[in-house]
Amino acid sequence: MSALLELEEVRAGYGPTSVLHGVSLEVNDGEIVSLLGANGAGKTTTLRAITGGVRWTGDIRLNGKSLRKMHTEDVVRYGVAHVPEGRGILTELTVEENLKLGSHLRRDGPDVRKDYDRVFEYFPVLRDRRRLSASTLSGGEQQMLALARAFLMKPRLMLLDEPSLGLAPLVVRAIFEIIKTINESDHVAVLLVEQNARLALDLSSKAYVLEVGRLAIEGSSAELRGNDAVRRSYLGY
Amino acid sequence: MQEFLQLVVSGIATGGIFASLALALVLIYNAMGLVNFAQGEMAMVATFIAFTLISHGLNYWIAFPVTLVIAFAGGIAIQRIVIRPVERAPLLTLVIITLGLTTLLNGLAGAIFGYVPRSFPSPFSVQTVNILGAYASYRDLGVIAVSGVVLLAIYLLLQRTTVGLTLRAAAHHPEASRLLGVRVSWMLALGWGLASAVGAVSGIMVAPIILLEPNMMQTIIIYAFAAAVLGGIESPLGAVIGGLIVGVTVNLAGTYVPFVGGDLQLAVALAIIIGVLVLKPNGLLGRPSVRRV
Repeated sequence: MSALLELEEVRAGYGPTSVLHGVSLEVNDGEIVSLLGANGAGKTTTLRAITGGVRWTGDIRLNGKSLRKMHTEDVVRYGVAHVPEGRGILTELTVEENLKLGSHLRRDGPDVRKDYDRVFEYFPVLRDRRRLSASTLSGGEQQMLALARAFLMKPRLMLLDEPSLGLAPLVVRAIFEIIKTINESDHVAVLLVEQNARLALDLSSKAYVLEVGRLAIEGSSAELRGNDAVRRSYLGY
Repeated sequence: MQEFLQLVVSGIATGGIFASLALALVLIYNAMGLVNFAQGEMAMVATFIAFTLISHGLNYWIAFPVTLVIAFAGGIAIQRIVIRPVERAPLLTLVIITLGLTTLLNGLAGAIFGYVPRSFPSPFSVQTVNILGAYASYRDLGVIAVSGVVLLAIYLLLQRTTVGLTLRAAAHHPEASRLLGVRVSWMLALGWGLASAVGAVSGIMVAPIILLEPNMMQTIIIYAFAAAVLGGIESPLGAVIGGLIVGVTVNLAGTYVPFVGGDLQLAVALAIIIGVLVLKPNGLLGRPSVRRV
């Protein structure tokens, strides 16, 4: 069986500065995979390469199909929901309009309505605030909105860039709980970029650690959690 | 009092014309942060197309929507052919390109149709009707009705449809919109198409009043700038309100302020632009540009 997402010797950068020096990784269908590493290791760039936000060489395949030469919007339409750094909330629009942008390409009307019900069940605050401008939401609520919107896209793969960034521990726990729920009930694969390695390893089954644009370690999350040397030198806890 | 009311009604009619062109400016400004100086000339060319259709015997009410469709397609074509290749160029480059487009369209229209002013048909008679003691011409009322319908249609399109939603999303946050599967580049083209069609309405409405010739929109575009700036250059609703205020103000000033008369009405529009930029740079409905750090 081939993986849902495969990166093969991916190199990428911004102009003359190269950031990734040959990264290979795999995410299987319905699996949660963590991508860890220090600031500037290339985690965000890896996600951006997948959705075509940065030029890359090597190969990236989704479901066996190469994403080379595909525009961002086509990769997204092919089943990838990318919650970017900074969450990508459209602050000029209302909460409801943001959600609608998640589901606007879907043609399965009745299922969409069910998914909205589920979103409001996971995040009741979004129902209460749906007519308000998204700019009025707190950081945690904006992260919930971003996750809810990604869920409404009904993706095969979610790319989450630091969902815990800047949020209170209690909020983070709630959000990670929902990520797990979505993964389990809808069989959505997740590639999770996190600074908070402990949290990410608890959630994922497999993990990759990046060090200045190269893979330093890969292995099952349990293995990495249990290895003190790895934890001290790469994960910082 | 009666004269005042009449001036207000005809001011609202011209205001509707300014509002249409101002809305066209706002649509493109929202999409790419660019003031499209060629908007007036695009409207003028569309009006010549309407004129050609009508003089070939087409009914006014058929020629009108046909012209809007052609203007829509023309706007898309201009975005794809002229603007898109330089989309990422500095703003000044884009401004110069729209200025070049202005000259080009003006010269083309002159070469094809000549500079002799022509009378343009209006489906509304110039006879007046008495409403609550004030006399208003059918033409003014017709202009108000047509502008009103067009502006309402644009409002509903932007606020109530999925296409309108993606259009607004693409305009405000192109990167985030791409990640939601919005085809941003085509949304920009659509914005140009819509702006071109709305602008065409202003040309067709104003042509019976000021006669059709290649330079006819050059004063109207100044009023439209004033309206857009007054309303807050980013706000579609502001453009409409700004258009009405400018229309009424200019009309009243022309009659009641002795030294303004008919000659200095344009100066009133320029005074509005300067006044707004000095006193309230974001306009009536514009948001101050705040950035969260």
